[in-house]
Amino acid sequence: MPRLTTINLIFLTMLLMVSAVTCLGQSTTGTVSMSATVSKFVEINSGGSVTLTGNSGGGVTTDGVANSPLAVSINLGELGPSNTNSFVSASVPLKLRSNAAYVLSMSATVTSSGASSSRIGAADVGFGLGTVSRTGLGVNAGADTNATSGDPTLAANGSINGTTGRYEFTAVRSNLGAFSSSTTALSGPIIMNAVPRSNANGLTVPAMFAVKPQFFENGTTTISVTFTVTAP
Amino acid sequence: MRLRHVTYSLLITLLFLAFAQTTFAQALDISSGGLPTITGAVGGSVTGSASVTNDLVVTINFGEVSPLNTNSIVKVVVPIALRSNQPYQVAVSMSGLNNANAQAVQASDVGFGLQNMQLLGGAGQICNQSTHLIRSPFNNDPAITATVGSNGRVSYQSSLGNLSGSTVIMSGPVLSKNNSIKRQQSDGYTFDAIFTLTPQFFASGISSATLIFTISAGPNVPC
Repeated sequence: MPRLTTINLIFLTMLLMVSAVTCLGQSTTGTVSMSATVSKFVEINSGGSVTLTGNSGGGVTTDGVANSPLAVSINLGELGPSNTNSFVSASVPLKLRSNAAYVLSMSATVTSSGASSSRIGAADVGFGLGTVSRTGLGVNAGADTNATSGDPTLAANGSINGTTGRYEFTAVRSNLGAFSSSTTALSGPIIMNAVPRSNANGLTVPAMFAVKPQFFENGTTTISVTFTVTAP
Repeated sequence: MRLRHVTYSLLITLLFLAFAQTTFAQALDISSGGLPTITGAVGGSVTGSASVTNDLVVTINFGEVSPLNTNSIVKVVVPIALRSNQPYQVAVSMSGLNNANAQAVQASDVGFGLQNMQLLGGAGQICNQSTHLIRSPFNNDPAITATVGSNGRVSYQSSLGNLSGSTVIMSGPVLSKNNSIKRQQSDGYTFDAIFTLTPQFFASGISSATLIFTISAGPNVPC
Protein backbone atom coordinates (compact mmCIF):
# COMPACT_ATOMS: atom_id res chain seq x y z
CA MET A 1 0.00 0.00 0.00
CA PRO A 2 1.49 3.40 -0.95
CA ARG A 3 2.59 5.45 2.01
CA LEU A 4 0.33 8.39 1.16
CA THR A 5 -2.73 6.15 1.02
CA THR A 6 -1.91 4.72 4.41
CA ILE A 7 -1.60 8.18 5.96
CA ASN A 8 -4.88 9.24 4.41
CA LEU A 9 -6.58 6.16 5.76
CA ILE A 10 -5.26 6.90 9.23
CA PHE A 11 -6.54 10.47 9.08
CA LEU A 12 -9.91 9.31 7.78
CA THR A 13 -10.19 6.75 10.54
CA MET A 14 -9.38 9.38 13.18
CA LEU A 15 -11.96 11.70 11.65
CA LEU A 16 -14.62 9.02 11.78
CA MET A 17 -13.76 8.19 15.38
CA VAL A 18 -14.01 11.85 16.36
CA SER A 19 -17.34 12.02 14.59
CA ALA A 20 -18.57 8.99 16.45
CA VAL A 21 -17.46 10.44 19.78
CA THR A 22 -19.21 13.71 18.98
CA CYS A 23 -22.41 11.88 18.23
CA LEU A 24 -22.15 9.83 21.42
CA GLY A 25 -21.93 13.15 23.32
CA GLN A 26 -25.68 13.44 22.93
CA SER A 27 -27.81 11.80 25.53
CA THR A 28 -31.36 10.79 26.30
CA THR A 29 -30.86 11.12 30.04
CA GLY A 30 -29.77 13.83 32.45
CA THR A 31 -29.11 13.80 36.16
CA VAL A 32 -30.06 16.18 38.95
CA SER A 33 -28.62 15.30 42.34
CA MET A 34 -29.76 17.13 45.43
CA SER A 35 -29.05 17.26 49.13
CA ALA A 36 -30.19 19.27 52.14
CA THR A 37 -29.05 19.64 55.70
CA VAL A 38 -31.19 19.98 58.79
CA SER A 39 -29.17 20.98 61.83
CA LYS A 40 -30.43 20.72 65.36
CA PHE A 41 -32.30 23.87 66.29
CA VAL A 42 -33.50 25.14 69.64
CA GLU A 43 -34.71 28.51 70.78
CA ILE A 44 -36.15 30.18 73.85
CA ASN A 45 -38.36 33.22 73.72
CA SER A 46 -40.78 35.03 75.92
CA GLY A 47 -44.08 33.28 76.30
CA GLY A 48 -45.92 36.49 77.14
CA SER A 49 -46.49 38.99 79.91
CA VAL A 50 -45.07 38.64 83.40
CA THR A 51 -47.43 38.29 86.33
CA LEU A 52 -46.32 39.92 89.58
CA THR A 53 -48.35 39.37 92.74
CA GLY A 54 -47.98 40.10 96.44
CA ASN A 55 -45.68 43.01 95.81
CA SER A 56 -45.58 46.20 97.78
CA GLY A 57 -44.18 48.80 95.46
CA GLY A 58 -42.11 47.62 92.59
CA GLY A 59 -43.53 46.35 89.33
CA VAL A 60 -42.61 44.88 86.00
CA THR A 61 -39.98 47.15 84.56
CA THR A 62 -39.55 45.37 81.24
CA ASP A 63 -42.35 43.03 80.37
CA GLY A 64 -42.18 39.94 78.23
CA VAL A 65 -43.51 40.04 74.68
CA ALA A 66 -44.67 36.72 73.31
CA ASN A 67 -42.33 35.22 70.70
CA SER A 68 -39.72 37.91 71.29
CA PRO A 69 -36.34 37.38 72.90
CA LEU A 70 -36.62 36.85 76.62
CA ALA A 71 -35.43 40.01 78.39
CA VAL A 72 -37.54 40.65 81.42
CA SER A 73 -36.83 43.01 84.29
CA ILE A 74 -38.83 42.94 87.49
CA ASN A 75 -38.72 45.08 90.63
CA LEU A 76 -40.04 42.88 93.42
CA GLY A 77 -40.58 45.91 95.65
CA GLU A 78 -40.45 45.77 99.42
CA LEU A 79 -39.38 42.41 100.85
CA GLY A 80 -39.18 43.44 104.51
CA PRO A 81 -41.91 42.86 107.10
CA SER A 82 -43.69 46.00 105.96
CA ASN A 83 -44.94 43.89 103.09
CA THR A 84 -47.58 41.85 104.80
CA ASN A 85 -48.28 39.52 101.90
CA SER A 86 -47.20 35.94 102.37
CA PHE A 87 -45.12 35.91 99.19
CA VAL A 88 -44.00 38.20 96.44
CA SER A 89 -44.32 36.07 93.34
CA ALA A 90 -43.36 36.58 89.73
CA SER A 91 -44.37 34.26 86.94
CA VAL A 92 -42.38 34.58 83.74
CA PRO A 93 -43.79 32.66 80.75
CA LEU A 94 -41.17 30.91 78.61
CA LYS A 95 -41.62 29.52 75.12
CA LEU A 96 -39.32 26.80 73.82
CA ARG A 97 -39.12 25.36 70.31
CA SER A 98 -36.86 22.71 68.88
CA ASN A 99 -36.49 20.09 66.18
CA ALA A 100 -34.59 17.82 68.57
CA ALA A 101 -34.60 16.71 72.18
CA TYR A 102 -33.79 19.69 74.38
CA VAL A 103 -32.43 20.60 77.77
CA LEU A 104 -33.36 23.86 79.50
CA SER A 105 -30.73 24.94 81.98
CA MET A 106 -30.63 27.88 84.29
CA SER A 107 -28.01 29.73 86.27
CA ALA A 108 -28.62 32.49 88.79
CA THR A 109 -26.71 34.99 90.85
CA VAL A 110 -28.08 36.85 93.85
CA THR A 111 -26.20 39.86 95.14
CA SER A 112 -27.26 41.80 98.22
CA SER A 113 -25.83 44.96 99.71
CA GLY A 114 -26.15 43.59 103.20
CA ALA A 115 -23.23 42.09 105.09
CA SER A 116 -24.81 39.72 107.55
CA SER A 117 -26.29 36.28 107.16
CA SER A 118 -29.71 37.91 107.36
CA ARG A 119 -29.27 39.51 103.97
CA ILE A 120 -31.23 38.05 101.10
CA GLY A 121 -29.35 35.14 99.61
CA ALA A 122 -29.90 32.76 96.71
CA ALA A 123 -31.66 30.28 99.00
CA ASP A 124 -34.22 32.94 99.92
CA VAL A 125 -35.44 33.21 96.35
CA GLY A 126 -37.82 30.40 95.58
CA PHE A 127 -37.94 29.04 92.07
CA GLY A 128 -39.77 26.40 90.12
CA LEU A 129 -41.20 25.67 86.72
CA GLY A 130 -44.96 25.36 86.50
CA THR A 131 -47.14 23.26 84.25
CA VAL A 132 -45.60 22.47 80.88
CA SER A 133 -47.94 22.97 77.95
CA ARG A 134 -47.49 21.48 74.50
CA THR A 135 -50.50 22.71 72.58
CA GLY A 136 -51.25 24.14 69.18
CA LEU A 137 -50.87 23.15 65.56
CA GLY A 138 -47.47 21.72 64.78
CA VAL A 139 -46.44 21.03 68.37
CA ASN A 140 -45.27 17.51 68.96
CA ALA A 141 -46.79 15.61 71.85
CA GLY A 142 -44.19 14.47 74.35
CA ALA A 143 -43.48 13.99 78.02
CA ASP A 144 -41.18 16.55 79.59
CA THR A 145 -39.16 16.13 82.74
CA ASN A 146 -39.44 18.98 85.20
CA ALA A 147 -36.35 18.90 87.40
CA THR A 148 -37.76 21.51 89.75
CA SER A 149 -40.48 21.12 92.34
CA GLY A 150 -42.94 23.47 90.70
CA ASP A 151 -44.55 26.48 92.28
CA PRO A 152 -42.21 27.46 95.15
CA THR A 153 -45.09 28.91 97.15
CA LEU A 154 -46.69 25.51 97.55
CA ALA A 155 -46.74 24.40 101.15
CA ALA A 156 -44.95 21.23 100.20
CA ASN A 157 -42.01 23.18 98.80
CA GLY A 158 -41.03 25.24 101.83
CA SER A 159 -41.51 25.95 105.48
CA ILE A 160 -40.21 27.87 108.46
CA ASN A 161 -37.02 26.47 109.86
CA GLY A 162 -37.83 25.35 113.37
CA THR A 163 -34.39 26.33 114.62
CA THR A 164 -33.71 29.63 112.90
CA GLY A 165 -37.26 30.76 112.26
CA ARG A 166 -36.29 31.70 108.74
CA TYR A 167 -38.55 30.64 105.88
CA GLU A 168 -36.77 28.20 103.61
CA PHE A 169 -37.55 26.70 100.22
CA THR A 170 -36.66 23.12 100.98
CA ALA A 171 -37.86 21.03 98.04
CA VAL A 172 -35.58 19.79 95.29
CA ARG A 173 -34.28 22.66 93.16
CA SER A 174 -36.84 24.97 94.70
CA ASN A 175 -34.56 27.97 95.24
CA LEU A 176 -31.84 29.76 93.34
CA GLY A 177 -29.17 28.28 95.58
CA ALA A 178 -29.48 25.15 93.46
CA PHE A 179 -28.65 27.10 90.35
CA SER A 180 -25.39 28.80 91.26
CA SER A 181 -24.02 27.12 88.16
CA SER A 182 -25.85 26.05 85.03
CA THR A 183 -28.27 23.33 86.11
CA THR A 184 -30.96 21.45 84.25
CA ALA A 185 -34.45 22.67 84.99
CA LEU A 186 -36.43 21.00 82.23
CA SER A 187 -35.80 18.49 79.48
CA GLY A 188 -37.80 16.59 76.93
CA PRO A 189 -38.18 15.25 73.42
CA ILE A 190 -38.53 17.15 70.17
CA ILE A 191 -40.98 20.01 70.53
CA MET A 192 -41.99 20.92 67.00
CA ASN A 193 -43.16 18.85 64.10
CA ALA A 194 -42.04 19.79 60.59
CA VAL A 195 -43.66 23.21 60.35
CA PRO A 196 -42.23 26.56 59.31
CA ARG A 197 -40.69 28.96 61.75
CA SER A 198 -43.59 31.30 61.10
CA ASN A 199 -45.74 28.88 63.09
CA ALA A 200 -45.76 30.65 66.47
CA ASN A 201 -46.70 27.68 68.60
CA GLY A 202 -44.34 25.91 70.96
CA LEU A 203 -43.84 24.56 74.44
CA THR A 204 -44.77 27.05 77.13
CA VAL A 205 -43.89 26.89 80.77
CA PRO A 206 -43.99 29.53 83.53
CA ALA A 207 -40.80 30.21 85.44
CA MET A 208 -41.99 31.05 88.92
CA PHE A 209 -40.00 33.09 91.42
CA ALA A 210 -41.01 33.86 95.00
CA VAL A 211 -39.62 35.62 98.04
CA LYS A 212 -41.14 35.40 101.49
CA PRO A 213 -41.07 38.88 103.09
CA GLN A 214 -39.06 38.58 106.28
CA PHE A 215 -36.82 40.52 108.64
CA PHE A 216 -34.06 40.51 106.07
CA GLU A 217 -31.14 42.82 106.58
CA ASN A 218 -32.05 46.08 104.94
CA GLY A 219 -30.47 46.93 101.67
CA THR A 220 -30.94 46.17 98.00
CA THR A 221 -30.71 42.89 96.21
CA THR A 222 -30.12 42.09 92.57
CA ILE A 223 -31.16 38.76 91.15
CA SER A 224 -29.98 37.73 87.71
CA VAL A 225 -31.22 34.60 86.02
CA THR A 226 -30.06 33.18 82.69
CA PHE A 227 -31.96 30.47 80.83
CA THR A 228 -30.18 28.40 78.22
CA VAL A 229 -31.71 25.79 75.96
CA THR A 230 -29.55 23.27 74.17
CA ALA A 231 -29.96 20.19 72.00
CA PRO A 232 -27.45 17.68 73.32
CA MET B 1 -3.16 -7.18 -0.03
CA ARG B 2 -4.63 -8.73 3.13
CA LEU B 3 -3.87 -5.55 5.08
CA ARG B 4 -5.73 -3.54 2.47
CA HIS B 5 -8.82 -5.71 2.88
CA VAL B 6 -8.72 -5.34 6.61
CA THR B 7 -8.32 -1.61 6.32
CA TYR B 8 -11.21 -1.24 3.90
CA SER B 9 -13.43 -3.44 6.07
CA LEU B 10 -12.62 -1.29 9.07
CA LEU B 11 -13.37 1.84 7.11
CA ILE B 12 -16.72 0.53 5.91
CA THR B 13 -17.63 -0.44 9.45
CA LEU B 14 -16.73 2.97 10.79
CA LEU B 15 -18.62 4.68 7.98
CA PHE B 16 -21.70 2.63 8.82
CA LEU B 17 -21.39 3.43 12.51
CA ALA B 18 -20.95 7.09 11.82
CA PHE B 19 -23.92 7.07 9.48
CA ALA B 20 -26.04 5.31 12.03
CA GLN B 21 -25.03 7.75 14.76
CA THR B 22 -25.67 10.63 12.41
CA THR B 23 -29.09 9.33 11.58
CA PHE B 24 -30.35 8.48 15.06
CA ALA B 25 -28.37 10.55 17.59
CA GLN B 26 -30.36 13.70 17.09
CA ALA B 27 -33.71 11.90 17.33
CA LEU B 28 -34.02 12.44 21.08
CA ASP B 29 -31.70 14.47 23.23
CA ILE B 30 -31.71 16.12 26.63
CA SER B 31 -29.02 18.50 27.84
CA SER B 32 -28.33 21.46 30.03
CA GLY B 33 -30.56 24.40 29.19
CA GLY B 34 -28.36 26.99 30.83
CA LEU B 35 -26.89 27.92 34.17
CA PRO B 36 -29.00 26.81 37.15
CA THR B 37 -29.67 29.32 39.92
CA ILE B 38 -30.44 29.15 43.64
CA THR B 39 -32.04 31.69 45.97
CA GLY B 40 -32.86 31.75 49.65
CA ALA B 41 -30.15 29.29 50.59
CA VAL B 42 -27.91 29.36 53.65
CA GLY B 43 -24.77 27.41 52.91
CA GLY B 44 -26.29 26.00 49.73
CA SER B 45 -25.19 25.94 46.11
CA VAL B 46 -26.03 24.61 42.68
CA THR B 47 -23.60 23.53 40.01
CA GLY B 48 -24.25 22.83 36.35
CA SER B 49 -23.18 23.89 32.92
CA ALA B 50 -24.18 27.19 31.36
CA SER B 51 -23.75 25.69 27.90
CA VAL B 52 -26.77 24.13 26.20
CA THR B 53 -24.46 21.76 24.37
CA ASN B 54 -23.31 20.08 27.56
CA ASP B 55 -24.94 17.15 29.27
CA LEU B 56 -27.51 17.73 32.00
CA VAL B 57 -25.51 17.10 35.15
CA VAL B 58 -26.71 19.30 38.01
CA THR B 59 -25.88 19.11 41.70
CA ILE B 60 -28.11 20.97 44.12
CA ASN B 61 -27.21 21.61 47.72
CA PHE B 62 -30.20 23.24 49.38
CA GLY B 63 -27.99 23.99 52.38
CA GLU B 64 -29.53 24.51 55.78
CA VAL B 65 -33.30 23.99 55.81
CA SER B 66 -33.90 24.03 59.55
CA PRO B 67 -35.28 27.24 61.12
CA LEU B 68 -31.66 28.41 61.20
CA ASN B 69 -32.41 29.46 57.64
CA THR B 70 -34.77 32.38 58.14
CA ASN B 71 -35.56 32.77 54.44
CA SER B 72 -39.10 31.85 53.50
CA ILE B 73 -38.07 29.33 50.85
CA VAL B 74 -35.06 27.90 49.04
CA LYS B 75 -35.66 27.89 45.29
CA VAL B 76 -33.57 26.29 42.56
CA VAL B 77 -34.23 26.79 38.85
CA VAL B 78 -32.65 24.23 36.52
CA PRO B 79 -32.97 25.03 32.78
CA ILE B 80 -33.19 21.89 30.64
CA ALA B 81 -32.90 21.68 26.85
CA LEU B 82 -34.72 19.14 24.69
CA ARG B 83 -34.18 18.20 21.05
CA SER B 84 -36.01 15.70 18.89
CA ASN B 85 -37.06 15.05 15.35
CA GLN B 86 -40.13 13.11 16.48
CA PRO B 87 -42.83 13.38 19.14
CA TYR B 88 -41.29 13.00 22.54
CA GLN B 89 -41.99 12.58 26.23
CA VAL B 90 -39.88 13.34 29.29
CA ALA B 91 -40.01 11.12 32.33
CA VAL B 92 -38.38 11.50 35.74
CA SER B 93 -37.44 8.82 38.19
CA MET B 94 -36.13 9.40 41.70
CA SER B 95 -33.99 7.50 44.15
CA GLY B 96 -33.29 8.48 47.74
CA LEU B 97 -35.33 10.58 50.16
CA ASN B 98 -36.62 7.60 52.08
CA ASN B 99 -36.38 8.96 55.61
CA ALA B 100 -38.18 6.71 58.08
CA ASN B 101 -38.84 9.59 60.46
CA ALA B 102 -41.99 11.34 59.26
CA GLN B 103 -40.69 14.61 60.66
CA ALA B 104 -37.55 14.46 58.53
CA VAL B 105 -37.45 15.80 54.99
CA GLN B 106 -39.73 13.73 52.77
CA ALA B 107 -40.20 13.69 49.00
CA SER B 108 -43.39 15.69 49.45
CA ASP B 109 -41.38 18.44 51.16
CA VAL B 110 -39.46 19.20 47.96
CA GLY B 111 -41.61 21.20 45.59
CA PHE B 112 -41.14 20.30 41.94
CA GLY B 113 -42.72 22.06 38.99
CA LEU B 114 -42.08 22.94 35.37
CA GLN B 115 -42.36 26.35 33.76
CA ASN B 116 -41.21 28.49 30.85
CA MET B 117 -41.26 26.05 27.93
CA GLN B 118 -39.72 28.11 25.14
CA LEU B 119 -37.87 27.89 21.87
CA LEU B 120 -34.17 27.34 21.97
CA GLY B 121 -33.25 29.53 19.03
CA GLY B 122 -34.34 29.59 15.43
CA ALA B 123 -34.00 25.91 14.70
CA GLY B 124 -36.62 24.93 17.23
CA GLN B 125 -39.68 23.50 15.54
CA ILE B 126 -42.92 25.46 15.92
CA CYS B 127 -45.90 23.15 15.68
CA ASN B 128 -49.44 24.41 15.25
CA GLN B 129 -51.36 21.18 15.56
CA SER B 130 -50.05 20.05 18.95
CA THR B 131 -48.78 21.73 22.07
CA HIS B 132 -46.06 20.84 24.47
CA LEU B 133 -48.03 19.48 27.38
CA ILE B 134 -46.78 19.64 30.96
CA ARG B 135 -48.52 16.79 32.68
CA SER B 136 -50.64 17.38 35.76
CA PRO B 137 -49.83 18.39 38.46
CA PHE B 138 -46.40 19.67 37.47
CA ASN B 139 -47.38 22.82 35.58
CA ASN B 140 -46.60 25.34 38.31
CA ASP B 141 -43.93 27.25 40.14
CA PRO B 142 -43.83 25.53 43.55
CA ALA B 143 -42.48 28.69 45.17
CA ILE B 144 -45.81 30.29 44.31
CA THR B 145 -48.10 27.34 45.01
CA ALA B 146 -46.60 26.59 48.43
CA THR B 147 -49.22 26.57 51.15
CA VAL B 148 -49.40 25.55 54.79
CA GLY B 149 -51.43 22.38 55.13
CA SER B 150 -53.90 21.47 57.81
CA ASN B 151 -51.10 19.84 59.79
CA GLY B 152 -49.04 23.03 59.71
CA ARG B 153 -46.53 21.62 57.24
CA VAL B 154 -45.81 23.30 53.92
CA SER B 155 -47.16 21.51 50.86
CA TYR B 156 -47.02 22.20 47.13
CA GLN B 157 -49.24 21.72 44.13
CA SER B 158 -46.61 19.25 42.96
CA SER B 159 -43.58 17.79 44.63
CA LEU B 160 -41.13 14.95 44.34
CA GLY B 161 -43.78 12.99 46.18
CA ASN B 162 -45.75 12.94 42.93
CA LEU B 163 -43.05 10.86 41.28
CA SER B 164 -43.75 7.17 41.22
CA GLY B 165 -41.32 5.03 39.33
CA SER B 166 -40.65 6.63 35.96
CA THR B 167 -43.21 9.41 35.80
CA VAL B 168 -43.94 11.23 32.55
CA ILE B 169 -43.90 14.94 33.26
CA MET B 170 -44.29 16.35 29.78
CA SER B 171 -44.76 15.39 26.15
CA GLY B 172 -45.29 17.00 22.78
CA PRO B 173 -44.58 17.11 19.07
CA VAL B 174 -41.25 17.29 17.29
CA LEU B 175 -38.88 19.81 18.86
CA SER B 176 -36.20 20.44 16.25
CA LYS B 177 -36.28 21.57 12.63
CA ASN B 178 -32.97 20.16 11.58
CA ASN B 179 -31.36 16.79 11.97
CA SER B 180 -27.90 17.87 12.97
CA ILE B 181 -25.33 15.30 13.87
CA LYS B 182 -24.63 17.10 17.12
CA ARG B 183 -26.21 19.42 19.63
CA GLN B 184 -26.48 23.00 18.51
CA GLN B 185 -27.10 26.23 20.34
CA SER B 186 -30.53 26.76 18.78
CA ASP B 187 -32.23 23.56 17.73
CA GLY B 188 -34.89 22.69 20.27
CA TYR B 189 -36.71 23.89 23.34
CA THR B 190 -35.85 24.67 26.94
CA PHE B 191 -37.90 24.60 30.10
CA ASP B 192 -37.24 25.30 33.76
CA ALA B 193 -37.38 22.52 36.30
CA ILE B 194 -38.06 24.31 39.60
CA PHE B 195 -37.24 22.77 42.96
CA THR B 196 -38.18 24.33 46.31
CA LEU B 197 -37.67 23.48 49.95
CA THR B 198 -39.19 25.52 52.74
CA PRO B 199 -37.08 25.69 55.93
CA GLN B 200 -39.04 24.06 58.71
CA PHE B 201 -38.63 22.26 62.02
CA PHE B 202 -37.56 19.09 60.22
CA ALA B 203 -35.93 16.37 62.25
CA SER B 204 -32.19 16.86 62.01
CA GLY B 205 -30.11 15.00 59.46
CA ILE B 206 -28.88 15.07 55.88
CA SER B 207 -31.18 14.08 53.07
CA SER B 208 -30.32 13.39 49.46
CA ALA B 209 -31.97 12.29 46.25
CA THR B 210 -31.09 11.71 42.63
CA LEU B 211 -33.40 12.43 39.74
CA ILE B 212 -32.96 10.96 36.28
CA PHE B 213 -34.61 12.88 33.45
CA THR B 214 -35.19 10.72 30.37
CA ILE B 215 -36.44 11.76 26.95
CA SER B 216 -37.99 9.10 24.78
CA ALA B 217 -40.45 8.66 21.92
CA GLY B 218 -43.80 10.02 23.02
CA PRO B 219 -47.42 9.86 21.92
CA ASN B 220 -47.66 10.24 18.16
CA VAL B 221 -49.05 13.76 17.93
CA PRO B 222 -48.96 15.83 14.72
CA CYS B 223 -46.86 18.92 14.38
